[in-house]
Amino acid sequence: MLTATILVPLLGALALAFWPNPGERTCRSLAAAAGTVPLILLLAVWLGFDTAAGAPQFQWVENAPWIPSLGIGWRMGIDGIALAVATMSALLFVVAIAWPADTQGRARSYYAWFLFLEGVSLGVFVTLDLLLFYVFFDLSLVGLFFLIGRWGHGDARRAAFKFFVYTFAGSLAILLAIISLVLATDPLTFDMRELIARQPLAGMDVRAALVLLGFVVGFGIKTPLVPLHTWLPPAHVDAPGPASAILAGVLLKMGTYGLIRIPYSMMSATFSRYALALGVLAVVSILWGALVAMAQRDLKRRIAYTSVNHMGYTVLGIAAAGALLAGDQTARQLALTGATVEMVAHGLITGSLFLISGAFWQRAREYDLQAYGGLARVAPRLTGLTILASFASLGLPGLAGFVAELQIFVGTFGVYPWLAAIGLLGILITAALFLQMLQQLFFGDLPRRWADFSDLGRVEVGALTVMGLLIVAIGIYPAWLLTLIDHASALLTGGGG
Amino acid sequence: MLWSLAVLPALAALLVCTLPKRRGALAALTCGTLALTLMLALWAAAGGWTGTLSWNAALQLQAGLTRLSAVVAVLVPAVALPVLGYAAAHEDSRGLGRLIALLLAFVGAMELLVVAADLLTLLIGWELVGACSWALIGHRWRDADNPRAGQYAFVMTRCGDLGLFLAAMAAFAGTGTFTYAGLAQLDGALLHLLVFGVLLSAAAKSGQLPFAPWLFRAMAGPTSVSALLHAATMVAAGAYLLIRLQPVLDRVAWFAPAAAGLGLATALAGGLVALLQPHAKKLLAASTSAHYGFMFVAVGAGYPAVALLHLVTHAAFKALMFLAAGLYGERAGDFDLTHRRLGRALPYAAASSAIGTLALAGVPPLGGAWTKEAVVTAAGHMSPWLAGAVILAGGLSAAYAARFQYAAFGPGGEQKIDARLAHKPETIALAALALASLILGMLWLPGARGVLEPWLGGALPAFKRWETIASLLAIAAGLYAGVVVARRYADLGAAGVLAGCADWLGLPALIERIAIRPIQALALHVAWLDDHVIDAAVQRVAALGLALARAGQHFVETLADGLPEGSARWVALGGEDTRRLQTGLSHHYYAMIAVGAALLAVYLILGS
Repeated sequence: MLTATILVPLLGALALAFWPNPGERTCRSLAAAAGTVPLILLLAVWLGFDTAAGAPQFQWVENAPWIPSLGIGWRMGIDGIALAVATMSALLFVVAIAWPADTQGRARSYYAWFLFLEGVSLGVFVTLDLLLFYVFFDLSLVGLFFLIGRWGHGDARRAAFKFFVYTFAGSLAILLAIISLVLATDPLTFDMRELIARQPLAGMDVRAALVLLGFVVGFGIKTPLVPLHTWLPPAHVDAPGPASAILAGVLLKMGTYGLIRIPYSMMSATFSRYALALGVLAVVSILWGALVAMAQRDLKRRIAYTSVNHMGYTVLGIAAAGALLAGDQTARQLALTGATVEMVAHGLITGSLFLISGAFWQRAREYDLQAYGGLARVAPRLTGLTILASFASLGLPGLAGFVAELQIFVGTFGVYPWLAAIGLLGILITAALFLQMLQQLFFGDLPRRWADFSDLGRVEVGALTVMGLLIVAIGIYPAWLLTLIDHASALLTGGGG
Repeated sequence: MLWSLAVLPALAALLVCTLPKRRGALAALTCGTLALTLMLALWAAAGGWTGTLSWNAALQLQAGLTRLSAVVAVLVPAVALPVLGYAAAHEDSRGLGRLIALLLAFVGAMELLVVAADLLTLLIGWELVGACSWALIGHRWRDADNPRAGQYAFVMTRCGDLGLFLAAMAAFAGTGTFTYAGLAQLDGALLHLLVFGVLLSAAAKSGQLPFAPWLFRAMAGPTSVSALLHAATMVAAGAYLLIRLQPVLDRVAWFAPAAAGLGLATALAGGLVALLQPHAKKLLAASTSAHYGFMFVAVGAGYPAVALLHLVTHAAFKALMFLAAGLYGERAGDFDLTHRRLGRALPYAAASSAIGTLALAGVPPLGGAWTKEAVVTAAGHMSPWLAGAVILAGGLSAAYAARFQYAAFGPGGEQKIDARLAHKPETIALAALALASLILGMLWLPGARGVLEPWLGGALPAFKRWETIASLLAIAAGLYAGVVVARRYADLGAAGVLAGCADWLGLPALIERIAIRPIQALALHVAWLDDHVIDAAVQRVAALGLALARAGQHFVETLADGLPEGSARWVALGGEDTRRLQTGLSHHYYAMIAVGAALLAVYLILGS
C-alpha cells in the first residue's frame, strides 16, 4: 500500500516522459489522476490506522530485503505523525497539479517532474529505512531544482542553483551523520525501528554531539532555521506558484519531520541535552522571520519569511518535546502534537498563500505590494480567500494555525516558560504584517493599470476552497487529526500509547 | 447545548451570505435570529445548560453559565436586536449583506466568549471578536483609512490578547487544564502571571489606558458597528472577563489596586478627553473608555455585581446614543459638533438621545445613575479618596454628556425635518433602547436591592448620604459646564493645544513614537542584516568555494597533471642519459667500473 503511494506517481512520471506528443490537457489529466492515487491510498491507510492505546507506533509495515549485508532493505511503514504530514502533502500535490499553470509549452515534462517530485517526497515520509530516506530526501531536491529552474521566472536559474547547492550541502551533513550513526550499530542496520530501539550512540558524548550537529545543520537548512535560511526567499520568489506551494508545504516539512524521526527518536538522550539550544534557535527564527517578513515589500518574499517564522514554531515544539529531563509528559506531548499540527497547518495555509501569489504573478507579473491597491473591487473571490489564508497564518482561532500554535506555546511553557513567552511576540508581529499586506493589496484606491485584473477562475477557487475548508475544519474540530497525531506523540514523549 | 448561543448567529451569518440582499429579508432574518438567540439565552440561563467539546485529552472546550455571565449572555442579543435592526434598515445598501453577516458573526463570537467556562474557549471567542471588529471597522474599505484603522485596532487589542495566551499557558502549567474551576488551585508565580495576563487583555479590549486610542480609530466603522462594539461586544468583553474571574483575580493582593487604579485613571482621562472632543463619535468613544474604567474600579473594589449592572445600563444608553449620533452624522454630513444643532430637524432622535444623555450623565431616576452611584459607593469601600475621584469623573461624564446633547440636538439650528431620516425602523430602535434605559430606572425602587442581591449572588454596597449628595452636586455642575461649553465655546478642542489633548492627551503620538516606529525600524534593520550579513556570508562561502576551485585549476591541476607527466619526462631524460653511457668502448666501461669501485671503497670506509 505504502509502496504504491511512491510507485504510482513515479510510474506516471515515467509514462509521461515516454509518451509521444500528448496534448497539454492529456498531460494534466494523467498527472492529476496519477497524483490523486496516493491521496486516496493514504486516506485508506488513515482509516485503517489503529490509534488505540497499545497499538504499535509504526503500522502498515512492508519489508523486503535489498542489500542484507549492509542492513539495507525496502522498508515502508508509517506512524501518526508521518501519516498526517504525508496525507497533507499528497493533497497539496493534487491541488498544485490541478492549479492552472503556465507550462510554457512543455506540459509533458512539467507534469512529469511534478509526479516525480510527488513520488519521492511521499517516499521520505513513508519509508522506514534510513538509506531510502536519504535517497528520497535528495531526489526531492532534483525534482524541485528542475521545476524552479525551467518554469520559474526572474533569475530562476540562479535561484534554483542556490537552492540546490545550499540544501545539498545540508544533505551532505545529514549523510555523514547517518553514516556515523549507522556505523555504531552491530550488525549494521538502516532499519529505523531498530535504530530507535537500539539508540546506537547512547553514552558516546562527543561523537553523539557531532552527529546531532550534523543532523541539526542538515535539517536546519531544509526547515529552514535562522541563520541557514537565506536560500529560501530567492527560491520562492522565482519559482512558479505551484512549485512554491510544494516547496513550502512539503519540502520544508522534511526538515522538521527528519528532526523528529532521526535525532529526536534515535538519539533521544543527546537530543534532550541540546534541546534548550535548539529551542533558543527556534525562538530566534520565530522573531527574526517575522521581523524580516514585516520589512519586505515583495509579496512572495514576505510570505517566504513567514515560513521561517512558522517553521520556527514547529522546531520550538519539537525542542520542548525532546527535553526529556524537564517538564511533564503532558506538556511535552502537547508540544509535539502542536508541532505536527503546525506542519499540516502550515502546509495548507502557506501552500494556499503561495498559490495565491502565483495567481498574482500570472495576472500582473508584479510582486511589489506597493504597486497594488483596491483589488477587492475587481477580485472579490481572490480577496476573500486571501483574507482567510492570511488570518489562518496569523493564528486566528477557528482556523488551523491556532490549534497548532496554542499547543506549541502551552506545551513549551511547561518546559521552557521563557522561550514560550518570548516566542509569543511572533504572533503579534505576524498579525501586523499580514493585515498590512491585505491593506496594500486589496483596500483603498484601485490603480488604473489593474482595472481589468481578473478574479480567480473556477479551478483556482475550487482548489483554494478545498484547502480553506480543511483549514476551518481543523480549526473548529481538530479531534480527528489530533487523535491520529497523539497516538505517535504519546509514544514519542514516553507516555502510554 | 449551550454552544447554540454562539452557533446560531454564526449560522445565520453564513445564511445571509447566500441570500439576496434585500433590506426586508435581511432585517427579518437578522431580527428573527437575534430574537431566537435571546430566547435561547433566557432558556439556557434558566435551565443551567452546559456544553463540552473535546479536541483531545488535554484540550477540552467547555461552556457554562454563572448568574453573572447569564446576564451578559442575555444582554448581548438584547442589545444587538435593536442595533442590527437599525443597521439593516439604515446602513448603506452597498455591502449591506456583508455588514449584517459580520455583525451576526460578531454577536456569535461574543456569545462564545460569554458562555466559555475555560480559558481556551474564552481565547477563541476573544480573538474572533477581534477579527470581526477588524472587518467591521474597515467595512467601507474603498477609503484606505478605514481598513487601516481596523488594522490598528486589531494589532493593538492583540497586544492584549498575548496576555490571555500567557494566562492560558500559566493555568495549564499549574493545573493541567484550562477550566475556570481549576484556577482555584493555582498559586505562586503562575497565579501572578495569570492575573497579569487577564488584566492586560481586559484593559486592551475595554479601551483602558494605555490602549484607549484604538477606540478612536475604531470610529472609522459604520455607526451601528460602533454602537454594538461599545455596548455589548468587544469592549464589553474586557470588563466581562474581570467580572467573571474576579474571585480568582482577587487572590492576588495587587490586583485590586491595579484594576481600580487603571480604571480610575482611564475614567478621569477619558472624561477630560471626551469633554474636549468636538467629534460626536469620538466623544462617545472616550466616554466608553471612561465608563469601562468605572467598571474596573468596581471590580477592583470587590463588587463585580456592581460592575455587571453598570455594564448593563451602559449598554442600553451607549447603544442608544451611538445610533442617535449616526442619524445626526447623516443629516449633518459629518460628526463635527461645533456648529450644528439638529434638535428641530431630528425630533425623535433628539428626544431619545436626551434619555440616553441623562443616563450617561448619571441623573436619577435613570438606571445609569443608580449603577454609577453604586460604583461610587463601592469605591468608597476601598478608600474615600477613590470615591472622591470617581465622583469627579462622574462630573466630567455629566459635562460631556451635556455638551454632546446640546451641540448635537440642541435648539436653534436647522429646522427642516428630513422625511427620509424619520423612517420608522430607526425610530423604533431608538425608542426601544430609550425605553430600556427608562425601565432600568427601576433599580431606584426600594425593593430592587432585595431582589437583585440574592439573584446575582453578591452584595451590593449601601449608598452613603455624603457620597450621593457630593455626586449629585458634581453632576449638576457638570451638566451646567457642558451646556456652557456647547453654547459659548462650541469649537473647544477643535484646534490648538486642546485639539492635541482631545486626541487622548497625545497618547497615540507617543505610541507611534515609542512602539510602532521603533518596531518598524527594527524590522528594516533586521531585514538589512539578513541580506547584507547572513546572506552575504553565505555568498562569501560560495565565492570562496569558487575561488578554491579556480585556484585548484591552476595549481592542483598543474600538480596533478604535472606529477605523472613530469615523472615520465624525468624517466625519459634518465633513459637518454643512460643510453649515452652505453658507448660500446671498453676503456669507458673500465673507467666507470674503477670510479664505481672507488666510490664503494670510500662508502665502506666511511660507513664503518
